[in-house]
Amino acid sequence: MAVPVQWYLLLSAAMFCIGVFGVLTRRNALLFLMSVELMLNAANINLVAFARLWGNLTGQVFSLFTMALAAAEVAVGIGIILVLYRNFSDVDVTRATTMRW
Amino acid sequence: MSAAFTYAPLIVALPFLSFLIALAAGLADRDVLPKGGAIPGILATLGSLALSAWVALTVAGGAVFDETIYEWAVAAGVESQLELSFGLLLDPLSAMMLVIVCLVATLVHVFSLGYMNDEGETGLPRYYAGLGLFTASMLGFVVSDNLLQSFVFFELVGLCSYLLIGFHFREPGPPSAAKKAFLVTRFGDYFFLVGLVGIVATFGTAQFGGAESFPHVAELVLAGEASVRTFGFAPETWFTILGLLVLGGVIGKSAQFPLHTWLPDAMEGPTPVSALIHAATMVAAGVFLVARMYGFYAVSPTALAIVALVGGFTALFAATMGLVKRELKQVLAYSTISQYGYMMLALGTGGYVAATFHLLTHAFFKALLFLGAGSVIIAMHHNENMWDMGGLRKRMPVTYATFLVGSLALAGIVPFAGFWSKDEVLYEALIHGLGTEGSLGTVFLAAYAMGLLAVLFTGFYTFRMVALTFHGEPRTDLAADPESVGWNVKGPLSVLGLLAATTGFLNLAPVKKLTGAKVDFLHQWLEGPEGAALMATLSAKHYKHLLHDVNPAQVTASELGPLLPAALSLGLAITGALVAFRLYATPEPTEHTAKLGGLQDVLYNNYYQDEYQVWLATNVVQPLAGVADTVDQSLVDGVVNGVSSVSLSSGSRIRRIQTGVVSNYAALVTLGLTALLVAFGLYEGWLL
Repeated sequence: MAVPVQWYLLLSAAMFCIGVFGVLTRRNALLFLMSVELMLNAANINLVAFARLWGNLTGQVFSLFTMALAAAEVAVGIGIILVLYRNFSDVDVTRATTMRW
Repeated sequence: MSAAFTYAPLIVALPFLSFLIALAAGLADRDVLPKGGAIPGILATLGSLALSAWVALTVAGGAVFDETIYEWAVAAGVESQLELSFGLLLDPLSAMMLVIVCLVATLVHVFSLGYMNDEGETGLPRYYAGLGLFTASMLGFVVSDNLLQSFVFFELVGLCSYLLIGFHFREPGPPSAAKKAFLVTRFGDYFFLVGLVGIVATFGTAQFGGAESFPHVAELVLAGEASVRTFGFAPETWFTILGLLVLGGVIGKSAQFPLHTWLPDAMEGPTPVSALIHAATMVAAGVFLVARMYGFYAVSPTALAIVALVGGFTALFAATMGLVKRELKQVLAYSTISQYGYMMLALGTGGYVAATFHLLTHAFFKALLFLGAGSVIIAMHHNENMWDMGGLRKRMPVTYATFLVGSLALAGIVPFAGFWSKDEVLYEALIHGLGTEGSLGTVFLAAYAMGLLAVLFTGFYTFRMVALTFHGEPRTDLAADPESVGWNVKGPLSVLGLLAATTGFLNLAPVKKLTGAKVDFLHQWLEGPEGAALMATLSAKHYKHLLHDVNPAQVTASELGPLLPAALSLGLAITGALVAFRLYATPEPTEHTAKLGGLQDVLYNNYYQDEYQVWLATNVVQPLAGVADTVDQSLVDGVVNGVSSVSLSSGSRIRRIQTGVVSNYAALVTLGLTALLVAFGLYEGWLL
């Protein structure tokens, strides 16, 4: 018996909110990155769930793309964090405030 | 087309070329040209003179010419297209004027050799460049076939006078006189420009001659055979307004009341320049313009009345101021204003030929008087005060003889040139005043009376000047031992002396009336060659038709004989001259005008004209300008500045949200997205 799509949506929404919460409250850049991954995967769950509901594989293919994209994004993000650490001797995002008014 | 007309553009181009040569020489090196650049100028004006004479002969042979040479802008309109062009209009009037301008310009160039080169002036290339451009602009003005071209050259003439009056720019007087001349004439030209735009907007053309020309279209409109856009006015009113607007420029350039104040100050310029300005260019340009578009004025009684009154009043007004002046050139300056007043009087009272005739004779005798004054000034080492002269008659016989001829012509003593032309001016004013019914006739008679009274004063100031300068005993050591002048001074004087004595015989209209002999050559000349289609709208005969048949006031000449008016004006002139001679041609003359008391001060200060104009400028115009400035600074600029300061201050506040903390940005993005979602939800109705 298939799980109704609403449950997937709830799971996805919960994951997304956890990601948003992480982005808004955490100060460590690495946790930032992880929160962003959570949000991306929340979207992936949506894609896969609807793909299964409609019997259309396009959504699943899209989620594969998203994973590849996320991997690339992590590479860039890690690079940024390295530079952040080099310049500020820390990965606390609230301390890097030189680019302001 | 006759060959002369093919080469006619060269008349303008040659002096312009001499300007370029002198300019290049002036820029390159001081002594690269012999005589400081005078030679190209003399050759160019001589060449122009020869070509002008050829053109005049061709016109006399029955050919006239009106062609567009260069079209510099075409504007396609809804109904018709507007063409802005340069062209040549060579008819009897412009051919005559070409000869006058070229002749006077040539003589002035030669005279400058004596007045400028021999006196060791510096900056001569600049001087000759100015003379060349001045001559070229005036010639370009004379041959103009449309009003726009006239305006362009009119302005160039004004610019050149500015450059030449301010030639001695290191002294305090000339630059300020030059500025005054420029600004006062520009003030008039402003009206001219508005009038020009009005004429082009009304008629769609600015051509002077031919069936499509604006004076002719105006005539057709008044006769009810055509229609133009008159911006809500009756055609008569609108044409009068346009004519009066153009007249503003004329009043400024021809130094008519109340814009005459620049001319006496312009005496600060070198004397040959004064001769050129007063005789053939600049001042003559104004009167020539009215004569050029006379068909436009002839149909409007109001415009004629104003021209006549301004002319008559200026003639009298300027003559009274000339009575008390102490400087030689000042007297001549006021006489110029007065004489141009006569020309305007003639034009206003329907004496087109008389005005042209006076323009012709005046050009010669006034150039003569100015060059004679220049000769005296050389002799007196640039002292111009007549009270320091006296007794120069025996020491400078050539100057005296020619100056006397010029003075007799100016005073209007028979048989010198000025008598014939001034007599015709006054005669035309009188017969048209008597013949025309209604208020226009009265206005003509009033203008005539002022002109007639001015004759007495003219005789007086002219011979006061002659007596003080040349008669009696020398009053200073300078006058006792004047510097001698060379051939380049005496030559032009002699030529002009001959002309001032004889040009009157070109047009013996009174003799024709009395004897029937056809000796009114200028009348025949301005009637134009028989059969030329162009002359149908430009001839003196056509103007007479306009004055009598198209003009609502029906300007008519009465049948009065010429003898009585001539005797009257001659008697007045001789009386004035004799009184002046009796008073001042004594060994030790005294300042008799001092007996006038306060009146003399008023006259000497030119009726406080400058003062009231300065008062107007400082007490009326300046406060007005202050108000305008305040409005501009506070209201107009206030709005602009307000907008910028609001955006500046709000920008400086709002940019504070750029904290640089990534978490804040994330929070803003999230909040923003939430707000958007809520807003859309409420708006679309799926949230509640």
